[in-house]
Amino acid sequence: MNDGTGSREPTSPGRRRFLISTALSGAAPMMGRIGPAEAAETGAPPAVTPGAMPTMAISLTVNGRTHRLDLDPRKTLLDGLREEIGLTGVKKGCDHGQCGACTVLIDGRRELSCLTLAAAAEGREVVTVEGLAAADGTLHPMQQAFIDHDALQCGYCTPGQILSAIGCVQEGHAETADDIREYMSGNICRCAAYPNIVAAVADARARMEG
Amino acid sequence: MSYERPADLARALALRAEGGRVVLAGGTDLLAATRARELRGPVLDVTGVAEMQGVTLSAEGLRLGGAASWTAVARAPLPPACAGLQAAARVVGSTQIQNRGTVAGNLVNASPAADSVPPLLTLDAEVELVSLRGTRRLALGAFLLGPRRTALAADELLVAVHVPAAALAGQGAFEKLGARAHLVISIGMAAARLVVAGGRVVSAALAVGACSPVAQRLGAVEAALVGRPLAELGEALDPAAAAAALSPIDDVRADAGYRRAVAPELLRRALLACAPAPETAL
Repeated sequence: MNDGTGSREPTSPGRRRFLISTALSGAAPMMGRIGPAEAAETGAPPAVTPGAMPTMAISLTVNGRTHRLDLDPRKTLLDGLREEIGLTGVKKGCDHGQCGACTVLIDGRRELSCLTLAAAAEGREVVTVEGLAAADGTLHPMQQAFIDHDALQCGYCTPGQILSAIGCVQEGHAETADDIREYMSGNICRCAAYPNIVAAVADARARMEG
Repeated sequence: MSYERPADLARALALRAEGGRVVLAGGTDLLAATRARELRGPVLDVTGVAEMQGVTLSAEGLRLGGAASWTAVARAPLPPACAGLQAAARVVGSTQIQNRGTVAGNLVNASPAADSVPPLLTLDAEVELVSLRGTRRLALGAFLLGPRRTALAADELLVAVHVPAAALAGQGAFEKLGARAHLVISIGMAAARLVVAGGRVVSAALAVGACSPVAQRLGAVEAALVGRPLAELGEALDPAAAAAALSPIDDVRADAGYRRAVAPELLRRALLACAPAPETAL
């Protein structure tokens, strides 16, 4: 998050790269044009051919189940969860640590799966939105509160909001509406359902503690 | 092996000495700046290194383990001198970022807008740099050479940050200005640490970030405050002298002239926040 003063505009290059890779379905030829010397001058990361690194075997514990995976060690936890395990409740918003849509709980703490390597989550307990409901289908109090308070519109940010809100309550940062607003600031809602999200978190705190 | 997360420093240093590995100390900057698949080669993840953990106070002062998260810094029971550091820890990105981002990662990343740096400068912080060749300590101001540039050698790791006991005196404070309250890269920020006795300033430490290539202390402005009565604290800070010490740039967040105008005000607010209530309360 701590970008250099004016040294780089964080959003646009990534977006450009995303568009390039979408359009070409494989950005390697484009990126291969940037040689290491040029990259050093511009401050851009030197390009590497994607897929050049050998895979590694890891085991990930997600929602109480252990998954043995063979993946590129550079793969993020976000991509690992979505592409390897099929847990698409974890959303890819900005993929830059700015929106919070990919929030998961790791060893009970909220973290961003887009800024965590899958390999770094080995040996830790990962919880996604799919792991919140009870075995009989009863929703987690936070999930229920989001429904009760209509705390969403399009719903894309909602899994991240819910996991972040659980972390927020467990940290003791949901005591007041101001606290909730401050400590939920890492989760952006483009539909601006914020008033209802604050109400849902406050309500769920009472249910979780009660 | 292309991803390693050693549990102890000896192993981490051996891997570092082999060269060719990208050091990951949380990854909240590294993975945001480089898409994961573009990571240059094998990764050395230092977040599991035992010697780099913890936030600890001792007779020698404060030690921040390099792998300590910003949440750990924010939540540790620390003396009032560290109030600015802890306030800064709470605005390093979001809570999710603070849970993952580390002290060493933030410093080695060397962003001019790193929120932790001004308060650490007011605490006379030193970095402990370790390699198989040995250990050295550098003042934080000497470690940070420029935007994205540090004195870290290719075989070294930043194992810890040390604040000497003498710098844990007084009250600290931190002021950040962004385009909104939270989750924002700073336009500018200021940190202060004030030691007072008998209603007068004994010593003041002031630092400003995001208004020069590297965050910096303002020694001349600090010196002019010594001996001044607390009641005059707000006026004692010379805005022109503070602005003259800075070299801000125009960027997407603000232009240089704006930064030159707001930095002294941020300093004044940080300074007043350090002063004992009530007569100088805002």
